[in-house]
Parts: sequence; structure tokens; C-alpha cells
Amino acid sequence: MVVGDFATEVDVLVVGGGPGGYVAAIRAAQLGKKVTLVDKAELGGVCLNRGCIPSKALIHAADEVNKMKNASHMGIEVDGVKLDFPKTIQWKDQVVKKLTGGVGQLLKGNKVEVVQGEVYFSGENTVKVATEDNSTTYQFEHCILATGSRPTQIPSLPFDGEKIISSTEALNLQAVPEKLIVVGGGYIGLELGTAYAKLGAEVTILEGTDSLLPGTDPGMVRMVKRNLKKLGVDVVTNAMVQGADTSGNGVTVTAEVKGEEKTFSADKVLVSVGRTPNTDELGLEHAGIELDGRFVPTDKQMRTKNERIFAIGDIAGQPMLAHKASYEGKVAAEAIAGEPSEVDYRAMPYVIFSDPELAYTGLTEQEAKEQGYDVSVSRFSFAANGRALSLDAADGYFQVVADKETKQIIGAQIVGPEASSLISEVVLAIEMGANAEDIALTIHAHPSLPETFMEAAEGIVGNAIHMVNK
Amino acid sequence: TGKQVLAMPSIRKKARELGIDISQVAGSGPRGRITLEDLENFQAGGAKQEA
Repeated sequence: MVVGDFATEVDVLVVGGGPGGYVAAIRAAQLGKKVTLVDKAELGGVCLNRGCIPSKALIHAADEVNKMKNASHMGIEVDGVKLDFPKTIQWKDQVVKKLTGGVGQLLKGNKVEVVQGEVYFSGENTVKVATEDNSTTYQFEHCILATGSRPTQIPSLPFDGEKIISSTEALNLQAVPEKLIVVGGGYIGLELGTAYAKLGAEVTILEGTDSLLPGTDPGMVRMVKRNLKKLGVDVVTNAMVQGADTSGNGVTVTAEVKGEEKTFSADKVLVSVGRTPNTDELGLEHAGIELDGRFVPTDKQMRTKNERIFAIGDIAGQPMLAHKASYEGKVAAEAIAGEPSEVDYRAMPYVIFSDPELAYTGLTEQEAKEQGYDVSVSRFSFAANGRALSLDAADGYFQVVADKETKQIIGAQIVGPEASSLISEVVLAIEMGANAEDIALTIHAHPSLPETFMEAAEGIVGNAIHMVNK
Repeated sequence: TGKQVLAMPSIRKKARELGIDISQVAGSGPRGRITLEDLENFQAGGAKQEA
């Protein structure tokens, strides 16, 4: 630092106001630290502004439309469902605003100073924060990096924000496209593609590998594929996208499908092939931090090679999930305050808001076998659950994977209604080291969807009531 | 991850606070679950995991 250069001193500088950053800032403040949080854009980060929350709002609206259109078998005839899409987007924006406002109030309530600006490292423990019209140097005792990720751009389909869009723009369209091509059949593309199909778009998904949701248990994906077909979504696998022509009215995408060149035309192309961690343009090299690929390597306390600096969330490695970022944020803040916290979880929940929803945690049967377990698997169908039937949502199953000898629960795969909520009880069971008998002996409310966990667990024990035991 | 020690999250946290390597503790609970008492006994010098 230049002599005379005034630096603002802070205990903890948090870079990024997403689900990792703001949680870390609050926990650090709870533990008595003077915290400054810097974000270049808005509080809540990707999750609240351009990710989890807006996508779920849009999916919910699309589900409502879809239900209205498909309720005649329940005796509900809806004549001409009208969609005022700009209003739908406004409603979604209000949901986002409520939540980001809440984050701002929580930070304020915890006396966290919030600064808007861009961070660039100028040394081991100093950063420059550039705001619109000036630049301030901060000297920190500790720093928590939580800069998140952004949609990955592919060279053959560069984003133009109009015809070739990322998830960000796809969540802010002013009209439902007549035709939408989704490049990438991962969870983001699948969720948004399904939502727009329900809102009336003709959707084509182009996936490079041989299956939708690569990396997810194929048994779980089967039912999702069936519903996409019902919705009229065209899923093209083994499609290697070559490029796009945007010169005309719409956009034409060229792809090689099993060695054959094919063209697909649409109004818009949503490119959702993954997310890139925001580890560039930060000057991390000035702080002595080297990357592993694009991620920042950390230890169990989320500490980087520079022991003053911690990295959490999407920049710290897969899986890129908001709840993982928040968990890591708490660990980092506690470690800074001298607590012996470390990353120590047994089960990470994964949730995909497809139709039907998918959720899983722990090991699949295959993974458990690979890890040397003698495995016991039990699957209970939602078609045999009274609540699922009364919800007109009986597609899917709750599958439990257990150690055969101890009956300890080591994983679960759920396909079906509210899978995203149902997974939590399994995560708790794994964290507590519960076995199938513990779950089977726990009274579950009737009629309710969580009964399917109890029934599947009884299947492991061998005394299921509402299905025939193997 | 493989087979891990059986202990609730709060017990794992307590072990860290006490500076105990939980993998060295023998659990007295059902299916070898480690309890708070096991941690206390371990700290007092007893109940070590057999090698």
C-alpha cells in the first residue's frame, strides 16, 4: 500500500450477497465481528434475483395454468384460460423484492455494513472496492469470498440477450415465446423448459449426452420424460450444437444429431449448459490464491491457501447449491470467530423442480454397492398413497436405500409430488443415523405424502402394510 | 464417503469442541452410536475404539 493511502479497516469483509455471503455475514456479526458486505449488484445474489426463487415462482404459475387446463376429469371445466404474462412476471418480481428486502433488513438488524461496488484484490489483506464514482481501499482481518457463478457461455451460441438467452433473461421475458429451444438438458433447462411448455410454448430440448439430467439416477428420470412427452416437449439427445443463425425473424440452431446435421428454428434459444464460477477478474493472484480449474480450493473450514481468506458457495466447488453455500458460509464465519466448525454433513439434498419433482440424497443402490454395502432397497409407490391420489398426483415413488444388516438408511430417491419437501426427513434420518425401523416406528400423519417414507422404511424392515413385502 | 461413525450432528459438533477425533471413540448406543457420555468417558481416558 502506498504511504498515506487511507484504508478502511474491517474485521470481516464478505464479498458477495448471495445465500452464502449474506448468511456468512450474519453469522459473523452474531459472533461479535464487525462485518462489511460488498456486492456489485443486489442483495440475495443469483438465488433470490435470478435463480432459485424466480424460477420456482414461474414454475408455480405454469403449474397453475396447467392444472386449470387439465382438470376436466375432476369435473372442473375451465373455459379459455387467459394468461397476462407481464403480470405473471410482475408477481414474480414482487416475490423477489420481498425476499431481497428481507435480507437487507436482516443485515441491517445485525449491524452489517452493506456496500455496493466491485472488489479487486490489491494485496494479501487489502481490496479496492470500486463504486460508480470512487474507489475505497479496505484492509481486512478476514475475508469471505462468496462471488457465486454465472451462466456458462458456449462459443457456438454466444448470448445476445434477445434471441440467445441465459436463464437470467428467460426469467424476465415479457411474452411466452411461441417456440423455444433449450440447449442443455440439465436441471435448469429442464425446469424452465417445462414451465414454458406449460405456459404454451412449443419446446425442444437439445441435450449433448444420451440422457436428460445427466448424472441423475436414470430410473428417476423416466417418469419426467413421460410427462415431457405428454406436454409435447421434444427431447433430442446426443445433439451437439454447432451454431445459430439469428439474421432472420427468429433463430435457427444447427446441431449434429447422431452424425446427422439437423436444424431447429424458434423465437428464442435458452442456453443452459452449466454455470461458471466467478473467480476471474478479482485479482485473486494478488492475494496468493491459486485456482483449481475455475474453483478456489479450500480446507474443511473453507479456508483458502491465504489463511485470512475463506471461499464458500459456487466458487468453492460442486455441487452448486444455495443450501450448500449457506452451510459453508456459517462454517467459515464460525471458523473466523475461533469456533471449531468444519464441513461435516452426512447427506446433501438435491432437488429438481421438474414434473414430477425429483429429490435425492445419500447413495443410490448402485453407489452403495460400489462402496461395499450389502444393500436393501424398498420402493413405495405414490399410487398407493391416499394423499397423493387425492391430490391427483399419484405418479412416482419413494425409494429408500439401506444397509441390509443394520437397516441404517443411507440414501433415498424420490420421484413425485412435493419430493422437494419430502427429502428433508430422509436427510435428518441420515444425519441422525436412523435405521428403517426408527422411521417405521415413527407415527406419520394420515393422510399425508410423508407416509410414503414410513411405508418404504417398513418395506426395508419387511413389514409393510400397504404393499406386498418382497 | 463409505461407512462413517454413527453420531448425531450435535454430538459431532461437541466432539470438535472438546478436541476429540470422533473416529477414535467407541459408541455405546444402539448400533454403536456415540453418545455425549461416550465423549465424556473418552476425554476421561476410557472407551477407546479397538484398533
